[in-house]
Amino acid sequence: MSLTRDMVEGLRIALGESRPLPEPLAAETIEPPPKRVFPNQYQRGAYAAKAAAHTTALVGIGNVGTRYATNVVLQFQAELAVAHAAVAAELPDGWATENGLLSLKSRVTDHHEYLLRPDLGRRLDEESLALLRENATTGIDVQPILADGLSAVACMGSGMELLEAFTKECRQRGWSVGTPMAARYARVWLEDEVGETVGARVACILLGERPGLGTGDGLSAYMVYEPRIGKTDGDRNMMSNIHARGTRPAQAAERLALVAGAMLEQRTSGVDLDLSGIQDRIGDAAGGLREPQVREQLVESGP
Amino acid sequence: MILEPIYPKVLSVRRIHGAHPAVLEAYGADPARHNSLGLITCDQDDPTFVALDEATKRAPVDVVFARSFYAGADHSSGRLSGEILGVLAASDPDEIEEGLKAAVRTLEHDACFYSADASGSIAVFPHVIGSLGHYLAAEAGLQPGDAMAYLVAPPIEATIALDTALKSADVRVAKIFTPPTETNYAAAWLTGDLHACRAAAEAFARAVVEVGHDPIEEACC
Repeated sequence: MSLTRDMVEGLRIALGESRPLPEPLAAETIEPPPKRVFPNQYQRGAYAAKAAAHTTALVGIGNVGTRYATNVVLQFQAELAVAHAAVAAELPDGWATENGLLSLKSRVTDHHEYLLRPDLGRRLDEESLALLRENATTGIDVQPILADGLSAVACMGSGMELLEAFTKECRQRGWSVGTPMAARYARVWLEDEVGETVGARVACILLGERPGLGTGDGLSAYMVYEPRIGKTDGDRNMMSNIHARGTRPAQAAERLALVAGAMLEQRTSGVDLDLSGIQDRIGDAAGGLREPQVREQLVESGP
Repeated sequence: MILEPIYPKVLSVRRIHGAHPAVLEAYGADPARHNSLGLITCDQDDPTFVALDEATKRAPVDVVFARSFYAGADHSSGRLSGEILGVLAASDPDEIEEGLKAAVRTLEHDACFYSADASGSIAVFPHVIGSLGHYLAAEAGLQPGDAMAYLVAPPIEATIALDTALKSADVRVAKIFTPPTETNYAAAWLTGDLHACRAAAEAFARAVVEVGHDPIEEACC
């Protein structure tokens, strides 16, 4: 234990001392660590479990000692991967044409640039502008535009369903609807230039929204009255979370048509638009509280 | 009866948590880094220096103050004074606690003086440190991890024994403290590899015992 003590012990003998060194003081005993330092019991309060049932958000996930449960961490990583994949996805060439849509593109040239340059995503390139002038019906009431936005996965998933449902809702109300079209590398404000070019009274862009955990397939709709380049977000009305576990496309189409109707009637949009007359028919009031949500399990969890 | 261990007595162990900046500064601590102090007094200064150094190996603490008192424990200013006050400084109380534990453990189980004569009136400290902490390394101008022989004895014994130690082992001098030190001893810090340090400490202790046996030497010629 002590280098010096060993040395002194030898020296004592060398110097003729026969007795051994007195016993050293007993060292204090150190308790062995417990066999298991952390509990392995998954804990979650009843309230947390109940709250978590109403959302796909990461709330009420419980704990194991001081850490998250392994399946929660794996689920989180899987959901994050879904979101990453959705952002990275691109609308394939020819997708619009195959679906019978007019194929437009913003001034962005590749996906990387799309993520870095929102300004370029808000304007049409020359080719698309010419295509639009040549082929699109002008002077219409509503111009819907399907677009990839930040999730081409969502656009390809329920984009057509929402576009068709919204178009149908508009026609039922007797409005003229513009040529169906889809834009690639598009940001929300692209609707201003498109709407202005075709002379639409209302433009509505339906595009993949910024993916969240486990929702890479959400669509958002942004609507503006009298689309002109230079309109701001204050001039727009939007609806988000249009997907199977949020607002379903058919329901969303109906609500969007209601808002479009209000725009046509009041000749304005955004913060100036008064939705109080239809508030019982849109938003949460229309469907009441959402039914309990179940998180889609992306990983298998053990016992 | 020679080379009996003379165990050091720890006389006080106290902490100051959230010490006043003026106190921190006065005792060599840095208020920007240090918040807690651990204080220790003991009736043997050299084992305490070793113990404080040991603390720097066991916990992220700094030895900010360690001074011997004049004329040693037998002439101390009170029953708690002993012959040294050592002060550890750290950023939080837990580190101080670990540091103090290591220091007290060293004083109780490792570093001690030994009697070098039958009457016990000559004490020698032939201590071998296998691996220096950053406190003594800095004091000695060596690197943490170096081996060192920490050798202390009364003036005449230490002078002769130091000469013997240097001639008996492949060591070099890190520092020599000629008498009188505060406690009226003399000391030397020698370094080399561990075996050399051990050999030097052994030669030193042997020489101190020898001087005690034969203090008044016959003229040789």
